[in-house]
Amino acid sequence: MADSLTIRRVSASPDAFIPISALRSGGPTYAKLVDIGACIGCKGCEVACKEWNDLGVEPTANFGSYQSHRDLSPKTWLLMRFNEVEVDGNLNWLIKKDACLHCEDPGCLFSCPAPGAIVQYTNGIVDFNQESCIGCQYCVTGCPFDIPRFDASTRKVSKCNMCVDRVEAGLEPACVKTCPTNAISWGSKHDMLALADQKVETLQSRGYANAAVYNPAGVGGTHMMYVVPHGDRLADYSLPSDPTASPAPMTGLMFMKRLGAWMMGFGVLGALVHFLRYGPERLDEHGDHRDHGDGPAREAPSARLGGHDGHGDGPARQAPSA
Amino acid sequence: MAERLLTRFSFFERILHWVVGVTFVLLLATGLAFAYPALFWLTALLGGGPSARVLHPWVGVLFTAGMAAMIVVWFRDMFLSDSDRRWLRAVRAYATRDSANVPPAGKYNAGQKMFFWVQGALAVVFVASGVALWFPAAFGASFLQWMRLAHYLATLGGGLFLIVHVYLGTVAYPGTARAMIDGTVTERWARHHHPRWHEEQTRP
Repeated sequence: MADSLTIRRVSASPDAFIPISALRSGGPTYAKLVDIGACIGCKGCEVACKEWNDLGVEPTANFGSYQSHRDLSPKTWLLMRFNEVEVDGNLNWLIKKDACLHCEDPGCLFSCPAPGAIVQYTNGIVDFNQESCIGCQYCVTGCPFDIPRFDASTRKVSKCNMCVDRVEAGLEPACVKTCPTNAISWGSKHDMLALADQKVETLQSRGYANAAVYNPAGVGGTHMMYVVPHGDRLADYSLPSDPTASPAPMTGLMFMKRLGAWMMGFGVLGALVHFLRYGPERLDEHGDHRDHGDGPAREAPSARLGGHDGHGDGPARQAPSA
Repeated sequence: MAERLLTRFSFFERILHWVVGVTFVLLLATGLAFAYPALFWLTALLGGGPSARVLHPWVGVLFTAGMAAMIVVWFRDMFLSDSDRRWLRAVRAYATRDSANVPPAGKYNAGQKMFFWVQGALAVVFVASGVALWFPAAFGASFLQWMRLAHYLATLGGGLFLIVHVYLGTVAYPGTARAMIDGTVTERWARHHHPRWHEEQTRP
């Protein structure tokens, strides 16, 4: 575990897009695998998350669902969403373990303007450093899964950090540890992909023909993956079918920023070159031979005449010569 | 003999100009800091990253107020006339100091008028996208991404125009900047740069 906190990417730095780890062979990356088919909806993982991360209680009220809270919050990093969906005439809970998916290509990190506020470790975990966060919430905009939450009182954003402090010490995340049905597994990404395939096969043999692994390619794969029994109903699980880390406006913004830097640089350079070529304008070179002295004495400024100052379109007049 | 001075901008106009000028430069500096990690240190102008993020929109409110007042005060003087269109076609002569071929300008030449309208239009883009980015919770992620792009493009346009504006107003044309400091210009300056305005101002 020695290199589990080796940094792979850092927000708002050259290392955001060209990972540091590209310099050497990376170590093992971890992944969490959530088998939604094995989840019994006990919400023990929510409690374990709150306890380990010391997030405190957020009072909630019954709003007609088995779900504990309506939404994620700065103090609720994990929420089991109980999506009530009718499948083949039967009511089903298409549960989603709503928390950070720890994308291989993290849209939040790419969007972040604050150097060091978001880091990705070589082990795959994407973590927010609140001390560097400036509270702009661009990460919220960049996340294709709507995970980061802004705390208006601290003006910082937070989300699941995959219990990075546990992982660094060689332990599994708290939610994995507490799950009574082993619906959440933990291991290397390689092993979890193999396990996922096995689980999908089992589900298919039991009649869930559309069972699938959720490890979307648009974000380079994720370090929390799902096995969904109804792979044809991703929307019902509140899972985006094709999330992307580089949507069109952000790709455009990145391109324009690069082009814009050159344009502004050449703008300054252009003004400098113009100045070297033409210099400060000297009025007496242009046919104005009036004797002049730039003494400080100032005569009364002429009164402004009424009406608008000439934007009229009279014939071009010569300036009076006296 | 002392040069006679003409009043070009009133005290109020100068105040407006500098409210917009100072706030725009602060906004540009902190905006570029948010856009370019290499310039992140510019957030120090507004007290560091988190405080720059808090203050940038409020400086924007001041900028918006100044800009709005400026538009109200000046827009009547800024409509393009046929002579301005001739000026625009002769912009090359203007840029190369070939003043014999530059159609005589009134109080504002066509370049200044275009600067006014372009900055006015960019201000609308700044404010519209800026409000969305100020309160991101009220908007969808995709919309906000487009607003980031719009806000950046306005920054780029405004930044480029600022370079030209400052260059022409200071070192390129000595005697110009004082119009925004003590509000006056010399008669000779006026006759050369704004002959039709000069004539109006000195007509007995």
